[in-house]
Amino acid sequence: MLDRRNFLKMAAALSAAFGVQGMPAPVAAALKKLDPGAVPKLIYLQGLSCTGCSISLLQAESPSPLAMITDYSQLAFHADLSAISGKKALDLIERYISGNAGEYFLAVEGAIPEKIPEACLIGHKTFAQYLEEAAKTMTGAVAVGACACDGGIPAAEGNLTGAIGLKEFYGKRGIKKLIVNIRGCSVHPDWVWHTIIHLVKVGVPELVNDAPKLFYSRKVHELCPRYHDFQQEIFAKKLGDKGCLFKLGCLGPDTYADCPTRWWNGGRTWCIDSNAPCIGCASPTFARKKNIPFYRINEKPVTNG
Amino acid sequence: MKIDLGPVTRIEGHLNVRTTVENGVVTDAQCMSEMFRGFEVFLQGRDPLDAQQITQRICGVCPYAHAIASSYAQEKAYKLNVPPNGRILHNLIQGANHLYDYLLHFYQLSALDFVDVTAILSYTGRDADLLKVKQWVKAELDRNKPFPAAPFLPRLEGKYLADRDLNIGALKHYLEAMELQKKANRAAAIFGGKFPHSTGIFPGGCTQEARIDLIVAYQSLLSEVRQFIHDKYIPDVTAVAMAFPEYWRIGASKGGFLSFGLLPLTPALDSKRLLAPGVLFDGQVSPVDLAKISQDVKYSKYSSPSRLPVRDSALTPAPHKEGAYSWAKAPRYAGKVVEVGPAARILIDYQQGHNPMVRDLVNKFAALAGITTANLNSVLGRHLARAINAAVIADFLLAETERLEHGGPTMANLAVPQSGEGYGITEASRGALLHYLRMENQKIAKYECVVPTTWNASPRDDQGQPGAMESALIGTRVENAEEQIESVRIVHSFDPCIACAVH
Ligand code: SF4
Ligand code: SF4
Repeated sequence: MLDRRNFLKMAAALSAAFGVQGMPAPVAAALKKLDPGAVPKLIYLQGLSCTGCSISLLQAESPSPLAMITDYSQLAFHADLSAISGKKALDLIERYISGNAGEYFLAVEGAIPEKIPEACLIGHKTFAQYLEEAAKTMTGAVAVGACACDGGIPAAEGNLTGAIGLKEFYGKRGIKKLIVNIRGCSVHPDWVWHTIIHLVKVGVPELVNDAPKLFYSRKVHELCPRYHDFQQEIFAKKLGDKGCLFKLGCLGPDTYADCPTRWWNGGRTWCIDSNAPCIGCASPTFARKKNIPFYRINEKPVTNG
Repeated sequence: MKIDLGPVTRIEGHLNVRTTVENGVVTDAQCMSEMFRGFEVFLQGRDPLDAQQITQRICGVCPYAHAIASSYAQEKAYKLNVPPNGRILHNLIQGANHLYDYLLHFYQLSALDFVDVTAILSYTGRDADLLKVKQWVKAELDRNKPFPAAPFLPRLEGKYLADRDLNIGALKHYLEAMELQKKANRAAAIFGGKFPHSTGIFPGGCTQEARIDLIVAYQSLLSEVRQFIHDKYIPDVTAVAMAFPEYWRIGASKGGFLSFGLLPLTPALDSKRLLAPGVLFDGQVSPVDLAKISQDVKYSKYSSPSRLPVRDSALTPAPHKEGAYSWAKAPRYAGKVVEVGPAARILIDYQQGHNPMVRDLVNKFAALAGITTANLNSVLGRHLARAINAAVIADFLLAETERLEHGGPTMANLAVPQSGEGYGITEASRGALLHYLRMENQKIAKYECVVPTTWNASPRDDQGQPGAMESALIGTRVENAEEQIESVRIVHSFDPCIACAVH
């Protein structure tokens, strides 16, 4: 029988065995944090955005949001989390953007109001000015979410600001820089954080349409657990029904994203599992046209002759 | 001297506050909302069922509140009969979203105003998370790099909590709150489809079933959140209040209060709510009359007419308009300034003796802190009011889950008429939220949102009256005029959201 004294001895021996020295090399490597000097600094700026993407980033599971901003990247500035504000915050941003604080990646959330630049200010400059200046010094940019990638909701038909995405903004100015697009309204936290991990540990991930193939190579429809219902023509007739949601307007057939296999909110749920049609939030044309509504519920029945 | 406090961080969006400081006192303040998208314009001509989706993108911090307000407006316009499960699920989704928002606000957005992060360096305990943070901060400071320990440092100058253990306890809860806010959102998303930006909320209910496994999953997540509220959040708010008692008297807004009431108790929208609606002026509560709301734009960057009532609203941007300093309009109730938000909800409910739990909690904390209800109109008052909201909502949500009929319908029969109109009013975590919809030919003819921060961060109105937050700032004594941690604490206590305010 193991008495208490022997138990403690054994426990101590065991924990020493699993201490850093005793670890098999690959385990030690896996547990070792990245060289803090090599971790990319992120300057996270927001344009015409709702902050939904930032809030989504805080819903990450593994790694946790905290590990992401300490171990795998360094969040040098983020308007929602930074302790500092006002002039000192502007000084910090300026030091990076003027190239005086070392290498950095720009993370951009939100669209750019091309027609009314004053519709988005940070301090005394327009958001557009910051983006133009950053283009000269940044290593690359991650466009976070529908708005930053393609204009998103602010670019919906009939908008007054002339909202556009980062790629188009730089394209118009002849600026060529690495831009990784992470579509979604909002983004799934994994899509952004795992892209950053990829950038840090392996390099630029393979891109399709400037977006990581890892997440956006197949359509929601192809991966959907209700694809079988679709083939069998078992369709939901009204909201709340089970079955394929195609006849209610599901935009899964037009949308590249891995929601059906990744799920949302810690893997607890996702749109179609809750019987809610996909509204194509990861599509470059999300919400763009008035005559393409999210649902086909108000569609006039087609009459013959 | 004029000092800009912007960009104000640890809030949502693009806010500058232009202050004038004379002899260490803020003598003037202008709240400048600096981002405009124009939702009401691009909503026109769309399918009305797009509205609860599009308007959620006004704000990714409180999208569910917009989905609910839009759904209410559509339910009125479509004259829907909502099944009990439909309303309960709306409540479960919206209520859990409030809880996440309160935790996020107190810990991630406000705590760094009071808590001394550098206390972690003297931590001697064995908590793995705290040790990790300690090592990280130490390594950051030891390395010769620009801006070590960002985003937690640098910070504004000022007096922070002195007690080491309180600081370390609060930091531990900062880390835990990061996990707990996820659980609240996960609970909401069980029925909402996903968070942020629910795909499952519709006028008349939601698409998810009222299935027992889902209900129990919701209960289990919510009870963890409830426990945290009682064991950590409320004690932490109390600890901050004990250490900074002067903030019971700092940051009072100078007008009345408005609340639309939160969480209907039966499927009918005009039924009683968990927290009662009302408008409070000079100690008197009266019923809300939506016809008394109008929006001024003399100091807002629009050339459209001023003082329009909600249903006649207009929006023509004029970025260079003379004298205008904000993209936010200035909503007024009967021409008067009101504050909206957690303190307004509690004061208005308390004053009517409506919810017994509100009454008991207010009385308990007032006795503990030696304050009166008048002190709820303050920096600490707003923080405490959030915690009281959280406690009351959490208990209600758990009770509400027991009222779900397992397997019963969760959606109204959705039929959209050719024309109609409706107001949807509810409380977002930040305060009174109104959506107005008018349809013609089954398309949106007019959509108008009057959003909590539009009230709180409003610029001057046509009569020159400062908005609620401006009025709370004016008269504040500041130690360091350049940085004004006191003013920043006032702004944070309102939890402004500029994406909401302007939209
Ligand atoms: S529910 Fe949508 S994504 Fe799934 S099979 Fe049907 S149409 Fe495709
Ligand atoms: S399923 Fe569709 S609507 Fe839902 S998150 Fe994925 S892309 Fe967006």
